[in-house]
Amino acid sequence: MTNNSETKSVTSRRGFLKNAGLGTVGGAVAVTGLGTAASAQSGEAVVIGGPIQMTGGGAADGIEFKQGLEMAAEEINAAGGILGRPVKIAIADTESGGDDKITSAGQRLIDRDGASALITGYNFGSQIALQNVAADASVVYMHADTARAHTALVGGDPEKYWQSFMYCPSEVYYGFAYLNYIKNLEETGQFKGVNKKIALVTGPIQYSINIANSIKDEATKYGYEISLYETVDAPTNEWGPTLAKIREDEPGFIVVTHFFPGDQAQFMKQFLTNPTNSLIYLQYGASLAAFRDIAGDASEDVLYATNIGVLSGEVGSDFAARYTAKYGEKASPNGGAQTYEALHMYAQAAAMAGGVGEAYDDVQNKKIADRLRGMIYRGPTGSIRFDPKTQQAYSYPVQTNDPSLGMSHIFSQIEKKEENGKIISPTPYSVKEFRVPSWIKM
Amino acid sequence: MDAILQIVITGLTLGSMYALGSVGLALTYGTMGMFNMAHGVFMTIGAYASYTAATVWGLPLPVAIAFGILAGGIVGALMHLLVVRFMLSRDDFQTTIMVATAGVAILFQDLILKQFGAYPFKQPVQIEGMFRIGNTVIAYQSIAIMAMAAVLIGAMAWLLTKTRFGLAIRATAMNQNAAKLMGVKTELTYLQVILIAGTLAAAAGILISSLASLSPGMGTNPLIRAFVICVVAGLGSVTGAGLTAIALGVMEAGIGYYFGARYGFPVMLGLVILVLIFRPAGLFGKQGVIRA
Repeated sequence: MTNNSETKSVTSRRGFLKNAGLGTVGGAVAVTGLGTAASAQSGEAVVIGGPIQMTGGGAADGIEFKQGLEMAAEEINAAGGILGRPVKIAIADTESGGDDKITSAGQRLIDRDGASALITGYNFGSQIALQNVAADASVVYMHADTARAHTALVGGDPEKYWQSFMYCPSEVYYGFAYLNYIKNLEETGQFKGVNKKIALVTGPIQYSINIANSIKDEATKYGYEISLYETVDAPTNEWGPTLAKIREDEPGFIVVTHFFPGDQAQFMKQFLTNPTNSLIYLQYGASLAAFRDIAGDASEDVLYATNIGVLSGEVGSDFAARYTAKYGEKASPNGGAQTYEALHMYAQAAAMAGGVGEAYDDVQNKKIADRLRGMIYRGPTGSIRFDPKTQQAYSYPVQTNDPSLGMSHIFSQIEKKEENGKIISPTPYSVKEFRVPSWIKM
Repeated sequence: MDAILQIVITGLTLGSMYALGSVGLALTYGTMGMFNMAHGVFMTIGAYASYTAATVWGLPLPVAIAFGILAGGIVGALMHLLVVRFMLSRDDFQTTIMVATAGVAILFQDLILKQFGAYPFKQPVQIEGMFRIGNTVIAYQSIAIMAMAAVLIGAMAWLLTKTRFGLAIRATAMNQNAAKLMGVKTELTYLQVILIAGTLAAAAGILISSLASLSPGMGTNPLIRAFVICVVAGLGSVTGAGLTAIALGVMEAGIGYYFGARYGFPVMLGLVILVLIFRPAGLFGKQGVIRA
């Protein structure tokens, strides 16, 4: 009996590493650590807490985050768990709310559910709430808030926030990347705007505001001017007044950084009733299946970008196929991939560190944090490598020219409403050329 | 000119949805002194019921709309039979009923979440297409929203003013004991009032979701707006709620255009504060009187 289980365990751990797409230095370390540390670990389940927005405006993503965690946990468990301990997922709903909801959800997961780590996609609020919960409880916290607030917080006090990791770059890069991209489109003759005006529409969430501001602040350096800066509420279903302003002063480019997929879908539907000759870029929300589902035909030709989206190529395509096979065609691999790869990365770091630490065990959890800081993990959305000072993933091509050393900032365009957008930049992940949107009559 | 026309169209569309959402709330308060915190979830139920009928069961859209509206009324009636009627005679009814209906709202919202999940489904009850007046494009959906609101609110106004049924409601609102002495079955009247409020809320939910998407929490925002409208109009004033809703819808659209979209709702809230200070009974309201 014992022999059987040991044999099964060794085989399955190899399978786990294979499934996780790990062919890195970290993988070798984890394998060597298995034999000694595994015996020290009990068979008790490791609880991973997911403080996730399961209701409210961010729920479309929240569902994917939950599924990503569950899928990763199933794979890890099928391969023998983390050094023999199965992974159990506990979810607490942050209700798309502010810091009060987010903090209490994180605290509940630790105190009530016994979470050893907190892993999520993004939440709203100040985006520095869960770092404090994690710091107080000495648990590893991994998130994709895409928030400059994280880098400022962790970079400012690394002693306190050793446990908090943002596994994607901050939103500040969206501004540079967008301006770079449209300038390149014009310079290479792929697109010529009717003018150099950019109409910016942002929302009430800090993420949206920061991206809009980064475009606003840098636009003139790239030769563009901001013709409209509009802030809308969430939700915004009736876009008439905003569209009237856009139509009165036709811009060559429209950027909507308010990222709720339902609101973006309504924007497109109402825009297309009387379109201007504007290239439309929708921040993030358009990458979700919910956007295409609601917008229908109006989703086609829209541009969007994400710095944590599923890439083309073997790892990304394999994940996307397995994810949609498991959760249906309406599921969005872009969302699920985030928590999926974060949990796999955490599991490998914990294995390399000799096991999972419980809450308030800062000795063991610091070992895991050290492994995370030193790892390069190649998941469906690219390579996660943390800046050791800010514990934020590096961005490719903004911070590094090597796609194997940074998360790719990808631009995509929706070709068909039934399919996810196709990556049009950067190389080596682009699979399609940019096409001029059908509503533009130049 | 185009901008003004756009503001008017947007404002009337918003106002029509707000009106449908708020007159039911005003009716229940005016008749029963009950501020129904579950009013928002009636909207959600209507939206999900019509979605289910059209998408899951494949029924024709008119049938799906009727089913959604009916579902709101049935749930309202059930809430009355299972919760409200047992609390009517309590001295602190106005306070406790708010807590009780808030509980009902949470229960239904969670049940919907459990059944449908949080995926923002598309409401199939939509009319594609548009026409132009000058350079302004008007969607058939906006016209349908205005028409549906006008028909339902008009029907309710007719019921309240031209029928014995409406007379009974108004009599009950003025003085329950006197109405009883005159032979009005006030318990039945209350049931009918909540049923009507439920159907109107469900209709509002269908219309709102046709311009947005379905989500278990979709009734929260409209409930807050309906509350604002009722306070400005005067709690209990049905006609006032309808007129105020239209006015606030147009005002919100105008503020959105001239000052920025983000200022629309804050200005509405500011208006509530001013009304509460200078005209506590509201622009149309008189305490304890229902006016059709």
